[in-house]
Amino acid sequence: MRLEEPQIEVAARPAANGVVVHSTWQKHVLTFLMVFGPGLIVMEADNDAGAVSTYMQAGGQYGLHLLWLLVVLLPICYFVQEMVARLGIATGKGHAAMIYERFGKWWGRFSLIDLLAVNFLTLITEFAAISLALSALGVSPYISVPIAALGLTLMVVTGSYLRWERIVIVLCLIDLTWFGLAYVVHPNWGTVARNTVVPSLPPGGVTSSLVFLIIAIVGTTIAPWQLFFQQSCVAEKRLRFSDLKWARLDTLIGATFTVCVAGAMMLVGNYGYQHGIAFQDPAQFAGAILPTAGHFARNGILLLMVNAAVLGTTAISLASAWAYGEVKGWEHSLHKKLWEAPGFYATYIACVGAAAAIVLIPHVPLQLVIISVQVFAGLILPSAIIFLQLLLNDHALLGDRWVNRSWNNWINWTIIVVLFALSLLLAAQVMLPKLFA
Amino acid sequence: MATTQKQPEYFRVVHPLEDAPEQKCVSEGLGQIAMTPSVRLSLKILRGYLTMMTAMLLYHVLDLAGVLKHFKL
Repeated sequence: MRLEEPQIEVAARPAANGVVVHSTWQKHVLTFLMVFGPGLIVMEADNDAGAVSTYMQAGGQYGLHLLWLLVVLLPICYFVQEMVARLGIATGKGHAAMIYERFGKWWGRFSLIDLLAVNFLTLITEFAAISLALSALGVSPYISVPIAALGLTLMVVTGSYLRWERIVIVLCLIDLTWFGLAYVVHPNWGTVARNTVVPSLPPGGVTSSLVFLIIAIVGTTIAPWQLFFQQSCVAEKRLRFSDLKWARLDTLIGATFTVCVAGAMMLVGNYGYQHGIAFQDPAQFAGAILPTAGHFARNGILLLMVNAAVLGTTAISLASAWAYGEVKGWEHSLHKKLWEAPGFYATYIACVGAAAAIVLIPHVPLQLVIISVQVFAGLILPSAIIFLQLLLNDHALLGDRWVNRSWNNWINWTIIVVLFALSLLLAAQVMLPKLFA
Repeated sequence: MATTQKQPEYFRVVHPLEDAPEQKCVSEGLGQIAMTPSVRLSLKILRGYLTMMTAMLLYHVLDLAGVLKHFKL
């Protein structure tokens, strides 16, 4: 299958192409740094505005009792995204294109339309979060939302994937501030450690709102766009067969970092639980804790909410643009200039621009948007993950080298069954609320 | 007695974007995936799941529109 595999070669003298190092250790570190990016970005971008809200609500309503759930979700995130990275490296193509080619137009169109719909609705919630957070800091939405949309557009139209990747990695690292915020609100670290490793239920036991929140946490930690995004991103970065081990490490680091940041968000929300502060959204919470926790905590939460929304928006819009471009057969690469891939960039800009415009419409029914996101996500996640699992067992396409091993399949089918059940439960609860009354 | 002199080693690390392209696993000409029993079963389950979700969504929309109130006990 391969024309040439090794990108790292032992040379007797320095070569013109690449960086020359003198030890195996340096070679490994440098190769990893060159491959590093898609795994961290796909994971951390999933800590978007909706995730900030969900994790902080979990902390606000149930204190530290659900920390263990994040630890359970860490290997699930890793196993799912590792399959995506492997498929991307093996085929050099995006997920939407693979579904079209191997499962036909019907499933291809279904996956694409559902992805575009859920992504667009999610983008509206991201811009709503930007509007909400910056309004709390005194910036009018009519200024903040268009500026955010313009900035998000300028990030991608530079004609360089690497430039976009570096900007987004910096945004991911800004999320380290969540650890500072968690430290500032002084949680009981003994309780944090215990609830992280020992599963426990909050006082009151299993209630429908607890079940709903647990499903929401699972749903927000593993989102459908992530499958499409990472595979396209890996293809865009042209990762080679020999990069797989570093892509796996990148994914593992990304999953661990994301789960730790999510835990820090829960610790911050726990401040509300400890002090009896009820809140509907993080911006309201930030305002409520100002007198007791200070300006750093309040401004930090609001600005990190904006950062989360910006990260989520650029990744989700790119997932849509890559998927649509692949299926339409357009040029779909950040390496291309604006005029070289007009359809791809137009899709990205249309997603960002339309979502921003909708948020500026007075009295837009955001609750309906949020419910629709949950319903569409419930439809697409199990189907996208089924296609992923079937593609990773496609011997005709991948040969024996890249297909899942039997232990992979056992783990992944278990994850799929659990996700199916949870998606069904969430959709049932959203669509038929009286069912669980 | 011949002496062996160890040559200094250099490792050349090339960024994926600057490296020569690899021949990836090709899907062109393969057609659609082979309908093995596990693929067929997976797609059937997926169709069943989507049908159930669509039915629930339809019920919810009709319920919100007030169409079903005449049928409720």
